[in-house]
Amino acid sequence: MQNILATIVQSDTNQASQSLYASNNSIWRTMSDALHESIYRVLSLLISILPGILAFIVALALLSLVGLALSAMLRHALTAAKFDDRLARSRGNAEWALSSSPTALIARASFWGCVLIGLVIGVSAFDASYATAAALPSSLLPYLARIVGAAFLLIAGNLSARFLARSVLIGAVNMQLQYARFLSLGIKWLVLVLTGAMVLDHLQIGGNVVELAFGILFGGIVLTLALAVGLGSRDLVSRSLESHAEHSSEHSVKPPVAPTTGPDESIRHF
Amino acid sequence: MTTADPIPGTAAPSARPSAGLLVLFAHMTPEHLEDVLANLTAAFPAEGPLIAMQDVLPAGAYPSHRFVAAPATNPSWTLTAADFVNACQLAEKNGSSAILMLGPASGSLDAASLRDLANATLTTSIDLAVPCYELPPRAGLVNSAILYPLTRALFASPARYPLAVHLGLSLRMAKRLAGAAHRFTSSNQAEMPLWPVNEAMVAGFTIDQLDVGPRVQSQHTGLDLNTILPLVTGALFADIDAKAAFWQRFRPLPPALNAISTSISVAHAPPNDAASEIVALVNAFRLAYTNLQEVWSLVLPPSSLLALKRLAATDCAAFQMSDSLWARIVYDFLLAHRLRTINRGHLLGALIPLYLAWVASHINFTAFGVDPESHIEAVAAAFEADKTYLVSRWRWPDRFNP
Repeated sequence: MQNILATIVQSDTNQASQSLYASNNSIWRTMSDALHESIYRVLSLLISILPGILAFIVALALLSLVGLALSAMLRHALTAAKFDDRLARSRGNAEWALSSSPTALIARASFWGCVLIGLVIGVSAFDASYATAAALPSSLLPYLARIVGAAFLLIAGNLSARFLARSVLIGAVNMQLQYARFLSLGIKWLVLVLTGAMVLDHLQIGGNVVELAFGILFGGIVLTLALAVGLGSRDLVSRSLESHAEHSSEHSVKPPVAPTTGPDESIRHF
Repeated sequence: MTTADPIPGTAAPSARPSAGLLVLFAHMTPEHLEDVLANLTAAFPAEGPLIAMQDVLPAGAYPSHRFVAAPATNPSWTLTAADFVNACQLAEKNGSSAILMLGPASGSLDAASLRDLANATLTTSIDLAVPCYELPPRAGLVNSAILYPLTRALFASPARYPLAVHLGLSLRMAKRLAGAAHRFTSSNQAEMPLWPVNEAMVAGFTIDQLDVGPRVQSQHTGLDLNTILPLVTGALFADIDAKAAFWQRFRPLPPALNAISTSISVAHAPPNDAASEIVALVNAFRLAYTNLQEVWSLVLPPSSLLALKRLAATDCAAFQMSDSLWARIVYDFLLAHRLRTINRGHLLGALIPLYLAWVASHINFTAFGVDPESHIEAVAAAFEADKTYLVSRWRWPDRFNP
């Protein structure tokens, strides 16, 4: 009886270990299968978009080369035709708006035009291959486009902020405002805050929080500037109003000033 | 652009001696107009010139003169591109061989001056007759600080007032100026000032300068230094840029107008009236120095910045900008204008406080008894001496510049 019991117990133990072993085996197999499947999926995805990437690179490289050739040809042709001299003669001393010569500008524009066309063709090719790769997360490519747009916004905003800040600074200094730098900084941060809000909005980050924060910041800066300018220029405004009142009570049209050589003569710049 | 039509009832052109003269009036107040017409009548008692004006006078008001209607132009403080185009068109249409252009506030020119300006181009081979005004010491300072020294140094022109508003022109000079002006008018920039002296020098035409006595200055409402200085210097810098091939060649310079004597004594304080003006000007410069260093450092070399730093720390009574420093500043701004180192509006705006510093220095010099004309001639001489710097940096702008 004891032998029978011992045999039963031993067989139960063997079965349990065997089933445990089988279960471990199946987990490993499942994991391995899952890994294999995911690697396969990723590789097949890469293989499916690889032609698109290659097409993008080839299109960009090819059109860049075409652009280089076209640019060189145009540069030579325009130089030979003395295009710059002809343009200068036709415009006289009218201000040429850009720092580069017209020939260099045209050559550069043709090169970058070709590069842009290459980019468009490459992106189209990539887009076509991406459409076939159904497994790629659907929001990745549009978001990349948004990031590019946001980068452009950021650059444009920065440039605008610097330009406006410098314009305000020089204008305020020439108006002899003591708080010229403060005003300039205020304008700069106004534009930067606006740019930051636009960039975040474009990237769809933050949602309503960004709008709210932007409103608070923008309003705060405007209020600060208004208070600072208002309080700082109280005397200036009152003097201006007084002189305006005095001026309007006198002649509406000033007579010409006769040249004087007396000691109290004022400065005349023209 | 409309063409000029003779006013009905006016006399037909005749073969009188001054029949070849066309007088073009800019916008004037009625009082000035009366003065100028009276002076013209006195200048040409027997033979009235052909007068082109925008405001039609009642027939018979001045029977000795003949009138034609000039195309309407916008009122301006100086002669504009549109005025030169109109002058040429009217002269060709009426068969005039010489033109007398009279800008705003011409009433101060007496009959003799008008006659001299007209006769210079009418009866001699002079192509451009420019006036030399007798201005108070503290008037026409933009001209004295920038326009005259720069034009003289680069174009070897003797004209003391390159942007004069009264000019005598031969027909070929008028045609040349109209050609230059047409480029502005066709690009909708009819209000731009032109540089007749520079055009004449480039074309190899003859220039004569005539003393015309004092000049009444008109009140330019709505135009202040911050508006006009960038406009004028920008136009001159652009003209210099366009004529670079001409002025880079060496040319003998015209003789100086006066003997240069700028030795001064700093032991005495300037008079009270000058001191108050100097304080205001120096304060404007100091304010700019504390705020615009970032902009100036993009344009000026370190040596100039150091000199400006010392100048900003100088007491108002001893505030004197050296002529060589001023010449170097103007040349560096001209180079930055050409290279577009910064936005041109910003560049010319940043020049204004430096110009005010020069004005303060000039008043200080004159307050100590230096003849203003002598100081202006010294400034012109400094521009001439430093021309090699401009030519060198114009050709090789990236060369090391301490």
